[in-house]
Amino acid sequence: MALIVEQLLNALALAGLLFLVSAGLSLVFGILRVVNFAHGVFYMLGAYLGFTVVALTGWFWPALLIVPPVVGLVGALLESTTLRFIYRRLPIYQLLLTFGLALILEESIRVLYGPTAKGVDPPPLLQGAIPLGDIVYPRYRLFLVVLGLVVGAAVWLFLKRTRTGLVIRAVAQNAEMADCLGAGVARVRTLVFGAACALAGLGGVAAAPMTTAYLGMGIGVIVDAFVVVVIGGLGSIPGSMAGSLIVGAAQTWGAFYLPETAMVIMYAVMGAILIFRPWGLFGEEE
Amino acid sequence: MTHYRVLALAAVLALAMLPWVLARHQLSLLTDLLIFGLFALSLDLIMGYTGMVSFGHAAYFGLGAYGSALVLIHFGQPIPVALLAGALLAGVIAAPVGWFSTRATGIYFAMLTLAFAQLLYTVAYKWRDLTGGSDGIAGVPKTALFWGGPSLASPRAFYFVVAAAVVLSLVLCRALTRSPFGRALQAVRENERRFIALGRDPRPFKVVVFVIAAVFAGLAGALFAPFRGFASPEVMFWVLSGQGLMMVITGGIGTLVGPIVGAMVFILVQEILSSYTEHWMIFTGAIFVLMVVFLPGGLVGTARRLVSRA
Repeated sequence: MALIVEQLLNALALAGLLFLVSAGLSLVFGILRVVNFAHGVFYMLGAYLGFTVVALTGWFWPALLIVPPVVGLVGALLESTTLRFIYRRLPIYQLLLTFGLALILEESIRVLYGPTAKGVDPPPLLQGAIPLGDIVYPRYRLFLVVLGLVVGAAVWLFLKRTRTGLVIRAVAQNAEMADCLGAGVARVRTLVFGAACALAGLGGVAAAPMTTAYLGMGIGVIVDAFVVVVIGGLGSIPGSMAGSLIVGAAQTWGAFYLPETAMVIMYAVMGAILIFRPWGLFGEEE
Repeated sequence: MTHYRVLALAAVLALAMLPWVLARHQLSLLTDLLIFGLFALSLDLIMGYTGMVSFGHAAYFGLGAYGSALVLIHFGQPIPVALLAGALLAGVIAAPVGWFSTRATGIYFAMLTLAFAQLLYTVAYKWRDLTGGSDGIAGVPKTALFWGGPSLASPRAFYFVVAAAVVLSLVLCRALTRSPFGRALQAVRENERRFIALGRDPRPFKVVVFVIAAVFAGLAGALFAPFRGFASPEVMFWVLSGQGLMMVITGGIGTLVGPIVGAMVFILVQEILSSYTEHWMIFTGAIFVLMVVFLPGGLVGTARRLVSRA
């Protein structure tokens, strides 16, 4: 029983991180119709900037506040200087452009920080473990569960309840019509791209104390995030939540019971879901 | 169209003459370029002509490599038999994958092909008894041209096998895209709904072209294994699938010759940049971004447009 609870919490913590990354990926697809291959690199950038802020200030919390807007700014800048010009082309061109951006960013981080992984200490409040019934569980992982839930609820409420959220949903539904009605589609796209990158950056800062900041973490997470988004349905925030939970569970239990084939399980689950629902759990037919 | 014929003739002549001009390592590089050119060409069949972007094409390259490596190591058959085995293995596995994947379209199709490719990669990685796991299969021999025929062990002899296979594949693919079948594929690419409205089912066309593309990718892999002397899980990894897409775009999507040129330029640029700086990825990335923004037709597509305008 204790084991099941522990594995369940592990799955939830992983799902929390996955959601922070995949929500942005899904939003960018839903609104910009772009599959952003560079999304994982923004996650990595968040982790490294988090390391820098913690090293400079000695505190973790400022990193959690400062880094996401900075990463978002970098993202918005890149969107408005490159992607903006090729929205009319076939989707494959946008994917490949972001592939190029990913290479540039990844290598720039290598130049700036060097090849060794950078460790980040969690804040004192979240160090150590706390007893939960029969088990003792690391505080930091509980924090990740809560963070995922809070951010998920915030994004959901923002999209459903605010005026800006309404405009964003209008652009997602019909960009041309929204533009005619004065929504300022170009600005919405830049905003959404930046916000998505900020979410990825937040995920990176949050992941750093658990995984350290290392080169290649972006590529690793982007593949998982793609699977999450495809399972849940591209462009759907509830879909990202469901997908994160499924992938988090598949990876946690897979690594525990079938370590040899843990990676296959994730893809097998995705394949099985897509065979029955080719557009994902919450996706709509294109 | 005549100047294209002249160009094609010149290219074939150059391919025939080059082995006598180039140094040994240059010839080896050229062989490499041709093999990956064939890989990119096969991807263009589904990507450029049918509008299906596969993110798992490396799997069929890898299956070809393993198929030919196993035939060469365990049975010592001539090279053509190994090539056939590799291409067939890729095609046989691609059939069910294509059947499932074509249920979805667009990015979902891409993700399904990626999922199956990663599955195959894991199988190659874990099935140690057959594939040697992460070590792969080393010491793949370059056997004879036919039973009792001349050996292909010399770099020049093997180069000619590769060049012949690539030229033949290009001719076949060109004929395919101009056949009624190829026209149907392009109709699916241009307007799938209209294709359905005309009373045709696009699914069989998609599955068949997916298998054909896998067979050519398998052929490229089957050449790769004896050329490099090994087959390892890396050749099935998704990074190679991504690079394949980049090669096709660099050269020009839907032009057949373009992807071959694109593969050559892609590998050469990496080769040259990496000899100057260890941070060549920044420059590759920047070149790539500029290409996508400013040369949407790729090198060959843009060249053709310039020629037809002049």
